[in-house]
Amino acid sequence: MSNELQLIEKAKAGSVEAFTDLVESYRGRLFRYLLTRCNNYADAEDALQDTLINAYKYLYSYNSQWRFSTWLYRIAIRNLISNRDDKVTELGDLGDAENDPLDQAIAASERQNLWSSARRLLNDEVYAAMWLRYAEDMSVRDIASALDRSVSWTKVNLMRGRNTLDAELAQSRSENYG
Amino acid sequence: MRNLPKAEVKIMDKLAKRLREDAERIDATISPELDARIDASLRAVTPARPADERRPARSWTFWLASSLTGAAAAIVLLVGLNMGDAPVETPPVVANSTIPNIVEVPVFDLHAETAVLTSPLSEELEALQSDLRKAEEKLREDIGL
Repeated sequence: MSNELQLIEKAKAGSVEAFTDLVESYRGRLFRYLLTRCNNYADAEDALQDTLINAYKYLYSYNSQWRFSTWLYRIAIRNLISNRDDKVTELGDLGDAENDPLDQAIAASERQNLWSSARRLLNDEVYAAMWLRYAEDMSVRDIASALDRSVSWTKVNLMRGRNTLDAELAQSRSENYG
Repeated sequence: MRNLPKAEVKIMDKLAKRLREDAERIDATISPELDARIDASLRAVTPARPADERRPARSWTFWLASSLTGAAAAIVLLVGLNMGDAPVETPPVVANSTIPNIVEVPVFDLHAETAVLTSPLSEELEALQSDLRKAEEKLREDIGL
């Protein structure tokens, strides 16, 4: 039995320490995603806390044929959908730019972060699919599981997302050189 | 999936690389306060258990007792149906029936002796008339008429 499965078994039995060890390598990446999806830092922190608590509480339902990160993202995305009205940044509704965690996180950078454009141009699900593919390096099958969509839907929307961002990238490149 | 031209594939690869780099540039440091908050929340939660684990398993005696109870109830029902109580006839309902008004009749205290009929009615009538005549004659004599 792998170390991860051993930790899962201990966490299922009620060991908080085992669960903390289990999510140690995932929670930073998860928090990064949540920062790009929430209106402010506090909401992203709450979303991370809710996701981890739900994961711990319903760990019995985890199926080991999935990657654990896929399952965690599935919970996080569902939480975001259920809190959509007050916490998630909707397409075209970027909220207060001064408090935007994504803008704050990339403020020190010398160039535009492409995920800002992605958030502006893509809808929630396509954005999530793109993030899981390019930031998390997930397989199409795992992305489909995390989003509760078919593999073909995922492939088509990844292609659409890439085309949209590629066009955006080409346009910004031509503006810089033009 | 369509075959992309080499130039397009190169752009896509650049896009993937750029997306990966941009994601890594987002600072997502978890503060010690958030860490402590999450830890405290986890300690306040008890992991849920599947519904079938929460419910204790029923022993075979439970199922046997349930089956016997059900069979007994079915037998009682069948016997009750076969006994076949005679259908109760209900009086026909007459539409617009009128109920006669009950008139209260005053009760008189007559102090009369009840006639005991021992012969045919005609003879009894003659005997009563004879008694009445005799009583009338006696009354006349008493009052001096």
